[in-house]
Amino acid sequence: MATINATLTLSSGDLLTSNLAFSVASTLSTAGTATGLSKTSGLARTNFTNNPIQSKILYRSDDAKSNGANKIYLKNLSTTAAEYFTVFIDQEEMGRLYAGDWAFFPWTAVGGTKETFIATIGGTWVAGETWEFDGVLVTAADTTVANIATQINGENFPNWTTTVSGAAVTFTARHSVDTGTVVTATADMVIVQTGGSDATSVVSSAAMGVATTSDIMIVPSVVTTIDLEHMLFNE
Amino acid sequence: MAVTTAALTISSSDLVGDALSLTTSNTLNKVGSTVGIDQTTGMSVVYLTATTNIDVFPTLIEGSLAFQDKASWVYICNKSTDATEFATITISGNVIGRLYGGDFLWMPWSQSEDSAAENLHGDIELAPSVATGMWFDWICVNEGTEYPDAA
Repeated sequence: MATINATLTLSSGDLLTSNLAFSVASTLSTAGTATGLSKTSGLARTNFTNNPIQSKILYRSDDAKSNGANKIYLKNLSTTAAEYFTVFIDQEEMGRLYAGDWAFFPWTAVGGTKETFIATIGGTWVAGETWEFDGVLVTAADTTVANIATQINGENFPNWTTTVSGAAVTFTARHSVDTGTVVTATADMVIVQTGGSDATSVVSSAAMGVATTSDIMIVPSVVTTIDLEHMLFNE
Repeated sequence: MAVTTAALTISSSDLVGDALSLTTSNTLNKVGSTVGIDQTTGMSVVYLTATTNIDVFPTLIEGSLAFQDKASWVYICNKSTDATEFATITISGNVIGRLYGGDFLWMPWSQSEDSAAENLHGDIELAPSVATGMWFDWICVNEGTEYPDAA
């Protein structure tokens, strides 16, 4: 565990007739305990320069513990008073950070459901035949289906993680997103056969994903360069 | 105009390899300007004895968005000393996060109409986790507040 101290001070000599001056300190702990948070994204600086303006998902719910005592720090590094970032949680607008503004708030990071399916390697394969999915091409090293499944599992897929059991490879999406009514199907995998083999890759147990409702999304107000400083403290 | 300053320090000697020492502050200004915000709800000290969701700042009027996208800043602190007691903070019905005992938040507030157009007008709500009594502090420093008519 780590010890992380956060202190907020709010002060004004002329907002009220009596001085406004208070300070609150908190030690960042995991949910419901006195054990300090021990993970962080690190302090980051992200540039937004897009024409037309485009949003960015700053933190995905899948990347932090659901219902954890996660905390987010944001700061608009612009020095132009009129430039701002709009902060959204899912589709709901929280607020705007104008030049120099900062925010520090808790984040539940409630994740959705990741799409998953099983691809079972079957039939008769010939060494040199290929299997392709998600932009990844695998060339069968031999004729044993379990070995080919192991080869597939050994690849790094851009949008999926995998595990293998015998000839069955289980794919799990990296992110929880809505896939509508379409799930990955057998036809999405391309096998190039040679020599009249009947190599197959049959998809089963496919289940749709459900989007999260907690992703932190940022939208800049300008198409010109503008920087955001940010940091996630998470379980 | 008033000059109101919000400052934050975050420090840790053992979270990462090098010591973390972050200090930032800003002056609270009206939207897109260098004119200081001059209104506030004042600090509320609240004791809640139910787990019911409450509207933290109930002064927004249904059907009116007079202060949408103006500068508003919200501070909420869970004063409980019990680490297991938390408050769930939502905006327009969408959960932002949980404030456990001693936790605080400082965030901008657009008071925007919710995405489902249910006229929540960006309501910030709070639900204690227990009904045995929890203390909270909160304040909004803003450009203006629209109060409901007496009628």
